[in-house]
Amino acid sequence: MLVSINELKKYVNLDGLTPEEIANGLTFAGIEVEEVASLASGTNLVIGHILECEAHPDSDHLHVLKVDLGKEVKQIVCGAPNARKGLKVIVAQIGAKLPGGEIKPSVIRGVESQGMCCSLLELGVDSKYLNEEQTKGIEELPNDAPVGEENVLGYLGLDDAVLNLKILANRPDLLSLYNVAKEVGAIFSREVNIPSFEVKDDFKTDLVVGSETNRCTQFSGREIRNIVTKESPKYMQEALRSMGVRSINNIVDIGNYVMLLTGQPLHMYDMDKLPKHELIARDDLDVDFVALDEKTYKVIPQDIVITSNKKAMCLGGVMGSLECAVDNKTKNIYIEAASFDGASIRHTSSRLGLASESSSRFVKGTNHFQAEDVINFASYLIKEHCEGKEFSNIVTYQSEEKKVKKLNCSVKRINNRLGTEFNEEQTLSVLKRLHFGVKSINKDEFEVEVPTFRLDVTCEADISEEVIRLLGFDNVKSVLPTLDVKVGGLTLRQSRLRKIRESLLNKGLDECLTYSLLSKDNSTKFNLLNDEEHYSLLNPLTDEREVFRTHILYSLLEAASYNVNRQNKDLALFETANMMSKSSRNEHLAVVLVGNSLNRDLMSKEPYDFFHMKGIVENIFALLGIENSRYRFDRYSSDKEELHPGKSATIVFQNQVIGVLGELHPNAKKEFGLSKTSVVVLEMNLEQLLESKVSITKMAPISRFPSVNRDLALVVAKEVSASDIIKVIKKNGNGIVKDAKIFDVYEGEGIFHGAKSVAISITMGKEGTLTDKEITDTLDKIKFELAKQVNAELRM
Amino acid sequence: MENQNINEIYQSAMDEIGESSTSEKLQELKIKFLAKKSVLMSLLSTLGSLPPEERKEMGQKLNEVKAKIASAIEEKENQLRKEELEKKLKSETIDISLPSKRVELGGQNPFYVVKDEITDIFLNMGFEVADGPEVETDLYNFELLNIPKDHPARDMQDTFYISDSVLLRTHTSPVQAHTMQAAEGKPIRIICPGKTYRRDDDDATHSHQFAQIEGLVIDKDINIGHLKATLELFAKKMFGEKREIRLRPSYFPFTEPSVEVDITCANCNGKGCSMCKGTGYIEILGGGMVHPNVLKMNGYDPDVYSGFAFGIGIERVAILRYGIDDIRKFYQNDIRFLRQYRKKA
Repeated sequence: MLVSINELKKYVNLDGLTPEEIANGLTFAGIEVEEVASLASGTNLVIGHILECEAHPDSDHLHVLKVDLGKEVKQIVCGAPNARKGLKVIVAQIGAKLPGGEIKPSVIRGVESQGMCCSLLELGVDSKYLNEEQTKGIEELPNDAPVGEENVLGYLGLDDAVLNLKILANRPDLLSLYNVAKEVGAIFSREVNIPSFEVKDDFKTDLVVGSETNRCTQFSGREIRNIVTKESPKYMQEALRSMGVRSINNIVDIGNYVMLLTGQPLHMYDMDKLPKHELIARDDLDVDFVALDEKTYKVIPQDIVITSNKKAMCLGGVMGSLECAVDNKTKNIYIEAASFDGASIRHTSSRLGLASESSSRFVKGTNHFQAEDVINFASYLIKEHCEGKEFSNIVTYQSEEKKVKKLNCSVKRINNRLGTEFNEEQTLSVLKRLHFGVKSINKDEFEVEVPTFRLDVTCEADISEEVIRLLGFDNVKSVLPTLDVKVGGLTLRQSRLRKIRESLLNKGLDECLTYSLLSKDNSTKFNLLNDEEHYSLLNPLTDEREVFRTHILYSLLEAASYNVNRQNKDLALFETANMMSKSSRNEHLAVVLVGNSLNRDLMSKEPYDFFHMKGIVENIFALLGIENSRYRFDRYSSDKEELHPGKSATIVFQNQVIGVLGELHPNAKKEFGLSKTSVVVLEMNLEQLLESKVSITKMAPISRFPSVNRDLALVVAKEVSASDIIKVIKKNGNGIVKDAKIFDVYEGEGIFHGAKSVAISITMGKEGTLTDKEITDTLDKIKFELAKQVNAELRM
Repeated sequence: MENQNINEIYQSAMDEIGESSTSEKLQELKIKFLAKKSVLMSLLSTLGSLPPEERKEMGQKLNEVKAKIASAIEEKENQLRKEELEKKLKSETIDISLPSKRVELGGQNPFYVVKDEITDIFLNMGFEVADGPEVETDLYNFELLNIPKDHPARDMQDTFYISDSVLLRTHTSPVQAHTMQAAEGKPIRIICPGKTYRRDDDDATHSHQFAQIEGLVIDKDINIGHLKATLELFAKKMFGEKREIRLRPSYFPFTEPSVEVDITCANCNGKGCSMCKGTGYIEILGGGMVHPNVLKMNGYDPDVYSGFAFGIGIERVAILRYGIDDIRKFYQNDIRFLRQYRKKA
């Protein structure tokens, strides 16, 4: 809402207040002023009179003017097409500072020029307030403009500042200059003077108004005969311009002017074009509607339509029809001031893409009980400026009773809510300043009557806000709440997640944040863990972001690709995030390792491989105290070319696949532009880990007897897995094998094709001294079983 | 005669020990002077031929010389060993300026640094961390927060819809309703960090995805002074002890009264600069007293209980604190950006 200080001071005493002080006062009363702007600027201006206008000898469009500036006559070269003898103009004299720069004496194509004739555009007036002629040429002042007048901006009504008010959804009443004046009056305790008008009726109209829908609760109309459309008076044009509205003609301007001042949108019908002398609001039409803008719109049931003889004459609160539009031949009109349901207007205007100053006022909420006053105000202006002489009575349909909202309040309760110590007098005087009716009941309690324009005030909490926003938050005593001591802190689940993240950071991985919305295509890529149905947006902004993801990995691979493209080729990235599908909600972890391992002496290089990632996974389990016997890695298989089929695995915990890890498939690498480097990925559902129960570890006795280590070297087929070998050893350990670890795997020279050499270290021990026989017997049994079960050949 | 001989042997032994510079040479000298077949020892074997009074004297003298030579050799040996070790150690000297073998700590998107830090500040004040879904229902995102269908405040938040009644939450405030319903009328003191979504085109200052930290305190006799003190403490912990806060009236449908909270600009200490557009203050969060309707709808009697709520923009705090010029940087994950940040111990 744009508010001109010059207009505002017509209704509230602003003596001694600067625009900045007013802006500040409004802001700290909860009405944020986003900008204080001046309408126009320029120094050293004067009103001149063109005495002579000759063509420039050396140009086909320039004129050489002799301009009377009151005290002297100057020669000015001017390029405006409308420059002519006898015109009164704005002259920027030598030294004048305009928004575009300073005016200096100059010689234009050999002719001396001592100043410049200005358009309003050159004074900084926004082109949206100007008509075509005004933007193309210099400003044409009226014939009675006083030559020699130096307060040109004052004369033009442009010596003004305009406040840009950010109107929040609770204060639609401030979309009215009168109400802004009341607010400013309350804030600064200044006198407010809102004029009221009454135009007596000259005759009784046969107009019938009504509503056949509860979406229109009130409809008032008046018939006015014998109007003349013409240009609006200057004061009205200036007022409109200062509030951001263009002047059209007297009748349209009066509608806008009244709306800006009162907040009530009006509509005018050319009475002679109506099929019948009735205006009835309905919401059951299903027709094509040709609007004022000459476009055809589809009206559907639930749109509020003002009808005459069941024909749509106006899309209520949104736009009138072409059929009964007021034009410069119009003689007799009906004025409408109605109240429409905001939600309906909102639906209609957003469906049709038709939003206007008036529709937005209905959407936000209007005062339902001022229609007749507003019609009287408009009538007064029509009487003054449209030569209209005959006014009918005002006819009104009203389905809701005018009921004054009354609230019972208590000073104590208000103070309790605010943390303040205001007394009754302070509290009540604030409310009185804000035009609330106040009646004291006893020392503490009082009754408040809410003014009809304050749609937002419905309970005592709202009253407390009125009090504090005028008396100021500086009065609030800052006190920490005294609350019961209790065990707060993170839950086990929350602290586990925090620990996992911290441990990954400590291992050198960088923590990323990616978008939750993906394109439909990408949402299926690298979705390694589930095929659950994902959520899709009804109203995405772009195809790129229309599906709520159920996995992180794709986004993290994009981040990896982004970095590699910027020559950062060694990466260890991770992200944890909450995933939601139609059937589940899970906390996920994804990791992407690219290039060489960062966890090494920085002078050596080791490309990331499967086992780095496996180590990360094992560490996470260990961190949460989950022993490695409780989970396992199985081979991963998939039809998709996403992971290397021989270098990938699933993580199985509590008999469920909770994660997938592996090196990237060469074709997938290509897609992300990562062909030349090693890429290992992980996606893991952390839910079961975060929720898993871990028992307390009872101390295991430490044997007093030394353990014995023996190494075995085997040759087995390549397909035999390390875990198979370990399983055989542990199963046949005669109760004395405590541990078995692979410490070397070798393929190549010396080992026949398709086989590998595996070296294993076996630890044996018992409560007592092991005899050589026990050791030999056990090893023999192990060797025998290895030969039998995995076809192992012993190497010496 | 023999006395003189002994002295000569002693002298030459001492000379040779003094001149020797290797342990091998000292071994030779041990044999030369102290072995059974050495001159000295052969003199010992001739003792028997001496008269008894001389024998005793000579024997003592011989033993003395032997001991002196032995100790001189040992001393020299020790000296040589020490020198050799010193030489060896010196030769092992390294360039201590070469890179270390540490595991470099990972960088952390400043989003998480700020999120964890704010969380910890409130944990220390006795808050708990609540959680809620990012895909929400209209009921929780709007209606239970005093934003009924067609309320004009819905226009303040352009929403991504999944269906008529399911949407991506536009703020973390639905967690207020979830928490109140789960707490069944008991006092509440929670925060909830989380991702939120609005239908905004991405540019330097707008993002369709961003995150907030919601705060909610409900108890008997809670007032704005409690909100003010809590946020004052937060602002000082987060932005420094010198920061002051200021409340300005504002509007949110689910709080009444509602406030915007400004802190004194860290750049100019409240004097006014380009960062705070000359006002000396920077807006950091919104909050207010929980609206009685919200309490009522979620199972609390507004005549008995009151509460305050607030919402902090995580990226906004990070942007202010680190001078980040473009909100999209949080979502690009350029490691040159990430590695500038990590939570300080």
